[in-house]
Amino acid sequence: MSWRTGHIHTAIVTMRVNRWRSILTMFGIIVGVASVIIIIGISQGVKANITNQVNVYSKNVITVTSKAASLSSFGVSSVPAVSTLTNQDVKSIGKIKGVKYTVPMVILSGITSGDKNYKDGVVIATNAYLPKVLNQSLAFGSFFSATDTNQFSAVLGYNAAQGLFNEQIPLGFSLNWRGEQFIVDGVLNNFKVTPFSNNTIYNHAIFISTKAADQMKLDSNNSIFQILVRVNNAKQLTTVDKEISNVLQQNHGGQDNFSVLMPSQVAKNNTGILNLLAELTIGIAIISLFVGGVGIMNVMLVSVTERMHEIGIRKAIGASNRQIMSQFIIEATSVSVAGGIIGIILALIVDGLLNLSTSLTPTINWQIIVISAVVSMLIGIVFGSVPAIRAAGKEPIEALRNE
Amino acid sequence: MALIKLEDVSKLYGFGDATTLALDEVSLSIDKGEFVAVMGPSGCGKSTLLNVMGLLDKPTHGTYKLNNRLVDRLSQNRAAKLRRDTIGFIFQSYNLLPRLTVLENVALPLAYKGVGVTKRLKTASSMLERVGMQNREYFYPYQLSGGQIQCAAIARALVNEPSIIIADEPTGNLDSMGSRLVMELLSEIHKMGNTVIFVTHNPELTRYATRVVYMHDGMVIQDEKTSLGEVAKTAKKRLYTIPKKSVEDDLAGVSLLMKLPKKEEGIDASSKKRRKRRGRS
Ligand SMILES: Nc1ncnc2c1ncn2[C@@H]1O[C@H](COP(=O)(O)OP(=O)(O)OP(=O)(O)O)[C@@H](O)[C@H]1O
Ligand SMILES: [Mg+2]
Repeated sequence: MSWRTGHIHTAIVTMRVNRWRSILTMFGIIVGVASVIIIIGISQGVKANITNQVNVYSKNVITVTSKAASLSSFGVSSVPAVSTLTNQDVKSIGKIKGVKYTVPMVILSGITSGDKNYKDGVVIATNAYLPKVLNQSLAFGSFFSATDTNQFSAVLGYNAAQGLFNEQIPLGFSLNWRGEQFIVDGVLNNFKVTPFSNNTIYNHAIFISTKAADQMKLDSNNSIFQILVRVNNAKQLTTVDKEISNVLQQNHGGQDNFSVLMPSQVAKNNTGILNLLAELTIGIAIISLFVGGVGIMNVMLVSVTERMHEIGIRKAIGASNRQIMSQFIIEATSVSVAGGIIGIILALIVDGLLNLSTSLTPTINWQIIVISAVVSMLIGIVFGSVPAIRAAGKEPIEALRNE
Repeated sequence: MALIKLEDVSKLYGFGDATTLALDEVSLSIDKGEFVAVMGPSGCGKSTLLNVMGLLDKPTHGTYKLNNRLVDRLSQNRAAKLRRDTIGFIFQSYNLLPRLTVLENVALPLAYKGVGVTKRLKTASSMLERVGMQNREYFYPYQLSGGQIQCAAIARALVNEPSIIIADEPTGNLDSMGSRLVMELLSEIHKMGNTVIFVTHNPELTRYATRVVYMHDGMVIQDEKTSLGEVAKTAKKRLYTIPKKSVEDDLAGVSLLMKLPKKEEGIDASSKKRRKRRGRS
């Protein structure tokens, strides 16, 4: 109906006149909308990154972890000491049909030192197939091979190389660990890092051969935190996955103290904590939107009281209750929609800044933006209706008497 | 057939000891095309009477027929619609919306009628031209003089082409010039066939009226037909305390076009037997 045009005009005039009041009223909506868009953007961005990297680094790779070790996704420091996976498991998995490479990942403690001590380093005993399983190439040198005679050689993660040596290319340099000397054979390329993924640990790792660990009489049995299993092709993933479960079930005497994860599940596991965070923040944002709505209601109630005389005039010249009601609902909705739009713009700015200045790449989700706009409109309608009904119900003569 | 027909209309305010009888069984009928002045001392119920006639207020007792239709118990929305289509209000304190321009103010009743924006601005504009305000369209009320604001308010009252104009002391806040401007406009409207009812404290302004209704204590105590251009006889006698504001007020409305009456003929209202009050409180 054409008279609505007049109401939107009045609403804009009112907002302009009470500029500060309007902006403060919008605050809850602005914060709510902005935080929902930013948080969903960040978490979707991170998830997309993790999925990408799973596709790059763990394609066709089944990850076997000890149940107790599954907390490792928090980072290097929290890798538990005791694992349920054994060398026997590694051997059994290797025999399964369809398995191309089996790579144990044994975490060992102890400070490494080259030119400098490297406290962030973590020593991982593994075998020669690691680069093939992870699809990762070397920046310099080569990875130790299965037939290597010099078993005391080490390959460094990108950060570990920088942390241990002053040299750019420390090939042939030696490092000490638990009283033994290791010669640096190679340096891996940088693993692309995303929050909540395993790749951080690889960049800080000093990879040594399990043979060397055996020679040092270190008990690797209780420290296998992961077994990475690469299958010949993607079609075999499910059958191999089942078979691994069966074999380990037997090895462990029926105990369910390990997990076998498909590539997709790895990504899911890593984003679980992220989802939780996102859900919490969205919960808080919804509270913020609700509080924003109550704020709008409060201000509108004050506005109705202040403008009683105006309501009286409008009724005297022929406004029906409905028309007065729509006027105030449209005013409340204008405020909440304006808040929503400011919130959306703010979120886009923050997303842009995060993109430029951090490793986060928030995705801009148009669906969420449209939903935010609709929700802020609904807030205006819902919370504006109580004051609007109050305004509309006044007897014209009583409204007119208010100056 | 009477356009407005009030029968035994009472209006009570408050309750218990604080009850005020603002209208006391008023019976009054006004025909189409009359120009009625309502006079009486302050607090006698003039505004209450006009509010009831204008459907802004409902009578406590009695019946009100507008155009032969019973309207004393209308719902808010039906009353709003009837107000919009048949009644134009002019207030003492103008009551233009301060944040809208003169043009937007005048167009507002049309907006509530559902007229499109282009058409309503055009109609409002021609209405402003009729009251001589065509070059003040984009002014805000605070940028105008009292007389000019009241002219705009008259344009607003007229824009829906109502058959009845109700004006409660339209000249109450105006000087002589402003009063004259407003009264000339009202009489022009009257000449076009509209029914005009207005309240005034200024007997001079009864020159414009065709009929003067005198009130006291919520009752109509005298009802007098007058001829245009003459001060009503009873009003002249000053039977009531007429609040005198200034010299200008006395001069107000003394149109050069109008001659002074030659002789005075008094009707002493106090000699008439006053109707016994039958308050139902
Ligand atoms: N809302 C109200 N509540 C209680 N009493 C009221 C109310 N409105 C009016 N009255 C009373 O009703 C009586 C008539 O009031 P009204 O406003 O009609 O007088 P009036 O003739 O217009 O006076 P004035 O010339 O001063 O405008 C007065 O005694 C007044 O006190
Ligand atoms: Mg009055």
